[in-house]
Amino acid sequence: MNYLYSLFLLPLLPLSGATAQEIRLTETARSEQVYADSVTCEELLSFNELGVESGYVLYRAAIEINRAEPVLELENVRDYAAVYLDDRLQGTVTATNKKQPLSAAPGKYMLSLYAENIGRITYGPEISDNSKGLFGRILLDGKEIGNWTILPLNVPACNVKQLLFREEAAGGLPSFHRGHFRLEAPCDTHLDVSGWGMGEVWVNGVYVGSYWDEEQLQSLPVPAGILLKGTNELVVFDLKSRSCPTMRLCDAPVFN
Amino acid sequence: MKNKLKKVFAFVLFCSVLPVEAQTREIDLSGVWRFQTDVMDFRRGSLSPRYNHLLPDSIVLPGITDDYRIGYKVPYIYPDRLTRKYEYMGPAWYQRDIKIPETWKGKRIFLYFERTHWLSSVYVDTKEASRIDYISVPHSHDLTGFVTPGGMHRITVCIDNRFRYDTHKWNHAHSEFTQINWNGILGEIKLFALDPVYIDDLQLYPDITRRAVKIKMAVKNYTGKPVSGNALFTVAGKEYRSQKSIAVNGNDSVVFVEDVMPLGSRVRCWDEFNPDIYTLTCRLDTRAGETVCRHEKSADFGMREVKQGKNHIWLNNHPVHLRGTVENAVFPKTGYAPVCDAEWERIMLLMKTYGLNHMRFHSWCPPRAAFRMADKHGIYLEVEMPMWGKDAEPDEARYDFFRREIKAILKEYGNHPSFVLYCNGNEITGDFDFIEELTAAGRTLDSRHLYSGSTARKRVRSDQYFISQQTRKGPVKVYEGLPSTCWDRNKESNEDVPVISHEAGQRCMYPDFGEIGKYAGSLVEPRNLEAYRDMLAQNGMAGQAHDFFRASGALTVIEYKAVIEALLRTSASAGFQLLSLNDFPGQGYAPVSILDSFWDSKGLVTPGKFREFCAPEVALLRYGKSAYFQDETFTGQAEMYRFGASVLKNAKIKWRVADDSGKTVRKGNLKTGTIGNYGVFPVGGFSFDLKGIPAPQKLTVHLSVDNRIMNSWNIWVYPRNETLPVSTGEVLYTPVYDEKARQQLEAGKTVVLFLSPGKVKGRKSVFPNHFWNPVMFAWPPMTLGCLIHEEEPVFADFVTSYHTDWQWWDILNHAKVIEMQDGPRALRPFIQVIDAFDSNRKLGIGFEARVNGGKLLVLAVDTEKNMNDRPATKQLLKSIDRYVKSDRFHPQTEADESFIRSFLKN
Repeated sequence: MNYLYSLFLLPLLPLSGATAQEIRLTETARSEQVYADSVTCEELLSFNELGVESGYVLYRAAIEINRAEPVLELENVRDYAAVYLDDRLQGTVTATNKKQPLSAAPGKYMLSLYAENIGRITYGPEISDNSKGLFGRILLDGKEIGNWTILPLNVPACNVKQLLFREEAAGGLPSFHRGHFRLEAPCDTHLDVSGWGMGEVWVNGVYVGSYWDEEQLQSLPVPAGILLKGTNELVVFDLKSRSCPTMRLCDAPVFN
Repeated sequence: MKNKLKKVFAFVLFCSVLPVEAQTREIDLSGVWRFQTDVMDFRRGSLSPRYNHLLPDSIVLPGITDDYRIGYKVPYIYPDRLTRKYEYMGPAWYQRDIKIPETWKGKRIFLYFERTHWLSSVYVDTKEASRIDYISVPHSHDLTGFVTPGGMHRITVCIDNRFRYDTHKWNHAHSEFTQINWNGILGEIKLFALDPVYIDDLQLYPDITRRAVKIKMAVKNYTGKPVSGNALFTVAGKEYRSQKSIAVNGNDSVVFVEDVMPLGSRVRCWDEFNPDIYTLTCRLDTRAGETVCRHEKSADFGMREVKQGKNHIWLNNHPVHLRGTVENAVFPKTGYAPVCDAEWERIMLLMKTYGLNHMRFHSWCPPRAAFRMADKHGIYLEVEMPMWGKDAEPDEARYDFFRREIKAILKEYGNHPSFVLYCNGNEITGDFDFIEELTAAGRTLDSRHLYSGSTARKRVRSDQYFISQQTRKGPVKVYEGLPSTCWDRNKESNEDVPVISHEAGQRCMYPDFGEIGKYAGSLVEPRNLEAYRDMLAQNGMAGQAHDFFRASGALTVIEYKAVIEALLRTSASAGFQLLSLNDFPGQGYAPVSILDSFWDSKGLVTPGKFREFCAPEVALLRYGKSAYFQDETFTGQAEMYRFGASVLKNAKIKWRVADDSGKTVRKGNLKTGTIGNYGVFPVGGFSFDLKGIPAPQKLTVHLSVDNRIMNSWNIWVYPRNETLPVSTGEVLYTPVYDEKARQQLEAGKTVVLFLSPGKVKGRKSVFPNHFWNPVMFAWPPMTLGCLIHEEEPVFADFVTSYHTDWQWWDILNHAKVIEMQDGPRALRPFIQVIDAFDSNRKLGIGFEARVNGGKLLVLAVDTEKNMNDRPATKQLLKSIDRYVKSDRFHPQTEADESFIRSFLKN
């Protein structure tokens, strides 16, 4: 009797609670869908000059690499940026680490820098300049890069319900990822984001917050009020592209 | 040094040998001490201690070197803070000859300083006996074994106020920005003796469910023999007394005693509304061999339990909402934080007067008097170590200091019921594993408080709450208001721990130079304020200083009402910490408050008016905008913020609209009902049409609950003004200063220049006044609001006060600030923008002048975009039109055309 009872219950268990449920995010949507109006400019413009208070701005420029392993050097990074050559992630730069070696053979490339403003500095001698984003000069092997196209991303303000997703792996560049999970009884839960880079999360179209792998806290609280009995939708925007990524639901906050 | 010292010198010989009563257990050491500076830091390593010589100068303790004009006489004007008249940082030596009572034989003998920093060392005769370097707690030096009862000893104390560790110099425990890094000894200074079996530590853990108190004692036993006896606990409070006696036995050098004392049903819980305090006294009678010992020790406590709720801090099983201010050790009169009850009682009562229930001690921990008075008046304290910024970057010596300091703070002040929250420090960067280590250690040591790793930076696992300007869900800061009240920070505040909004407000006003006189007799001088005042005079506006203060101050009050109400609407937050209720004279100079640096009112808002929007119960109103056309309808949703003592039954809620004369023009009642407690509760909506109300006019929407809780909001109603002003033969409206405009002026006629902001050189126009202060945050546009010359006829048909209010929102957001300093000295723009006080240039958005023989009025405001949504701008244009076409338009000041061209873009 006990044995039969267990057999009967087994297939239902993954659906009954949020505990440790793994969510596969198999669909992707390209971030072009949330580009705001672009600005073309010979020089970089900070978030302040663009009228962007927070979120992400993409800085793009066509570059030519003349020797192997050139170094990209940024004058100001406030506070974080992911560096891409075409659709390949080269690394991330921060306010204290502003050099990025590029791994590419000589040739022509599209340089894409996705900058994020983690928060305003609120004290200290360094605050007199509170510009955010990328500004000043960016040098490639000592030579200044110009002719920028600057694209603020409408993240996290965008309506993720309107994004077009496809069942495919991300093409390399930062993009949206979507997956689904089922719940029998929605309750307050936490979403384990460990293993991801920097990004934003929505559940059932409701924004639930941002994450960064530099933080100790690697989970986001998801209130019961936005969860549905049955199928729920998870959308993630991440600065680093991932193939077949996953997140997990869990009962308690997750700390590194 | 010298006058004050001469006066006290006469006492030195008298006082250096103290007559002592035979049974005295305590000798008060306040009074005259011999003194010597040691700028070269050589005395400790020299031969001086061996020669045990008399120090040549004298000083009175408690006190600090600044009081005796000791140190470097500062010749400078510090632009970023008040200037100390005399600075001293280094070792300084204090000395006294003391006869140790004969009766102290066999006892433990301690020298106690209530507050000093950083390092205090005690020499007995020629030997160094003890060194202590706590910042936040008293220094209690054990001199047993170094002094002989019945003998005379020369006690020489070295106070070294140099930074012992590489810690952030801005920490308010010792910052030159507020309380200074003084050298001296404050509070109680005494020598005392204890029997060799005594209570070293007495910690009380209230249990409100069982109506009991758990007592944890550490009893030191210096007899080297087994000890036995009993402890008699007496708990006394208002109309309350109970006793319990237990046996105490042990063989070790420290005997730990733990007991639970039931207090019965008559004992009352402690909170902000009923701050009932009890004193537990333990009389310990013991015998160890032949030695009979007695010791009495007391501690105040309150029956309260604090818990981490989902969104709120819970006290005694219900949520509280923290309405707080940030306290930064601002005490310019003395240069140090008071250690006496009277000063702290004044501050805690002021907190109550302004509806607050919470105080954050930013990067410092106050003396015991602050806890005592917060206990007494029901204020929830958040306490920090002297820790800020990079203080968590790896440095083992510094880490060890913090590891000791947190334990010392919890041991010294942990019993106080007002000590609700602990946080390590402010906006910390560095190794957050270390921050987690400290936070977890605190939680393990003492469960009577909630813990947090750092304000406004990274989260750690042991966080039980989080003070921040942002969460991962978005901003929870509220620095400024909006002309609409239909918003809050609920979504952003809903994190996995309760969230407190960090350093709210911070709206900078122009200084009140009248405060300069208040520094007379202080050890700091407001030389920066004097420099700012002189700069204003040089720029030809000396007579406007007070008006700048009044107008920018009024705007700060308007902003704080909007900021605080937004934070009250945010029922999902644990509360907020305003920066601040009193001014901050450092980090530049931040006159952001309704009280000055001395906690005196600036006269900008009465406590009663302030409590309308900041109190345990506040009537709130959500509405879409502040400026209306006459054919529109006002719609509002009323809410009640209630974190009171109980639910409110049969609440009668009335609304009414008063016109400028106070006469009621619309009114109604909302449904009577019971309003809950511990939240924000919708109590109904109402609307009224504005048809028939004479316009333009300022109206005030009043909301009242039981005629007891009242609040009000200003709105403005305007006629449609379908047509914009048009030119006539006499008056030319033009967006450009061209040949036609020139000719019009040369003909002695009128030109009105409505300048599109994009066509004007100058600064961005904004509604709020500058954030924090322009010296620290040199962010454009560096302006402090506007002085509106309301009495001038240009405003005859525009309803305004001398300061900007929400009707100015759309005007200022479509304007440009013209630099006018190099224009005619006598010129006063009718919309005068107030420049940062460290720049003091003349700025304006609208002005009039005589130019080229004609009459010119300039307004740097967009008059084209979305005019159908901008009733106030339209009305301003209307008022200008009537004025320039009337016989009252006679500009007085002559301006050269080159001035006009100076601010026009080509």
